[in-house]
Amino acid sequence: MKRTLLALLFLLLPPSLWAAPDGKALYETHCSVCHQTEGKGGIGLPLTQEILEQLSDDYIAKTIRNGRPGRIMPSFYELSDAQVKAILQYIRGWSDKPAPVFPKVTLKGDPKRGKPLYMKHCKKCHGTDGSGEGSGTGVTLSREREFMVMPAALNNPGFQRSASDAMIADIIRRGRKIGHMPSFEGKLSEQQITDLVAFLRTLRPPPPIHGMKEWAGRPVYIMESPYGFKETVANLKEALTGANFRIFPTRYLEQGLADDFDVNKKQIGIRFCNFKELYHLLNIDPRLGTVLPCRINVIERNGKVILISPNVVEVARLFNNRELMEVAVVMEEIILDVMEEATL
Amino acid sequence: MKQIILLLLLLMAAPLHAGQKLLMVRVNMKAQQTMDVLKETVREYGYEVAHVQRCDGGMAKFHYKSDFYRVLFFGKLAEVRGILKAYPELAPFLPLKIAVIAEKNQTVLAAMDPTALARLYGHHPVLDVQFARWHSDLQAILEEMRTFRKPE
Repeated sequence: MKRTLLALLFLLLPPSLWAAPDGKALYETHCSVCHQTEGKGGIGLPLTQEILEQLSDDYIAKTIRNGRPGRIMPSFYELSDAQVKAILQYIRGWSDKPAPVFPKVTLKGDPKRGKPLYMKHCKKCHGTDGSGEGSGTGVTLSREREFMVMPAALNNPGFQRSASDAMIADIIRRGRKIGHMPSFEGKLSEQQITDLVAFLRTLRPPPPIHGMKEWAGRPVYIMESPYGFKETVANLKEALTGANFRIFPTRYLEQGLADDFDVNKKQIGIRFCNFKELYHLLNIDPRLGTVLPCRINVIERNGKVILISPNVVEVARLFNNRELMEVAVVMEEIILDVMEEATL
Repeated sequence: MKQIILLLLLLMAAPLHAGQKLLMVRVNMKAQQTMDVLKETVREYGYEVAHVQRCDGGMAKFHYKSDFYRVLFFGKLAEVRGILKAYPELAPFLPLKIAVIAEKNQTVLAAMDPTALARLYGHHPVLDVQFARWHSDLQAILEEMRTFRKPE
């Protein structure tokens, strides 16, 4: 029996440990959900021929490894070198031009001279601190967004670690049609471009976002109500309405799983929404549905009535999206206020 | 023996990449058709469909235009009942759910990775196994959806 189980264990080992990597299969498994089939772009940036012509293999490989902290793109640090190379080869197959190769030398520019150039030419799209202006990420398919492609977050540590000076300089020179980035060829001298790159290297990411200390690291907000079940539910609905939320019809947690007579009526979910905010949030991150709708549960257990809501800050961390984290911190305060009001 | 079974479960649940906190796939079908197939697939894994949240409909009522955007809730009654009895603090994450997001003629399916909750629940030995089971089921369901081909 043990031998059979061990044999089964071996068979369950990831194929990557014993098979040659298949770039197309790896791309479809790890990348296509965001970058779409053949790199057309979706939640993730498009990988069009124009873009691929500007990016070195080294940059793409490092981007796969480093990801973009706070900008949705996860870090695929566990992929082997061979797997990353296989993905790269597959992606390169979409373009008939070879991958550019850039020297790895550090350009010796003056960041002090680069700063005013940045403020004049780059700030409008990339933001004062280099975080990238505009809401959301990737290209829009379902909802309208300000930019078809969001301007790169130049201060992102993933970008800073992946992009060489020479590659950044080349993009400044050539621009990028898909993101409406103009070409600065002939508009800026080589020295000015070098100074600009030097300034970009001084950009630092904004400080990390934290929620309330007392709830940090906990999966849920949980409060005991001094009232009975029905009264607590009524209080909660009133508090939510007062906080400008629309309340959906109440659902029992077992509803749809048990028949109506058998369902536990002392376990309910109060679902609520502010559609204007929801629309805005789906622009920031279309994946938000994985945690929708907003819900506070009321449960009676052993004679006690408790209110439970997901810890929205901790849940938002799963999305690797700084913009979402900013909203989650605000939402945390609102939800806790509502829960407190209902249990006062 | 128990250790081997536990190891098997955890290995099956090991994320393809450890940094992964959301499970997502792209399906080469329109959203409504994807939803129909997803409901069937979820049932094949022993789950009941609890309900569908129509986020798109809600937004449309308030004049916010959106493509097909719905959330499928599903669970196993005995499992949900048992967990809520022993661990009511898991209530916000039950039943399980998958978001169905239209992207033109294709559809993105996304779910929270249950194993991402393990840290928040302090790596509780019983819950860790439960999270691993859900992860394994969700990943298998999503993989079936990703590779689903319409019958000719």
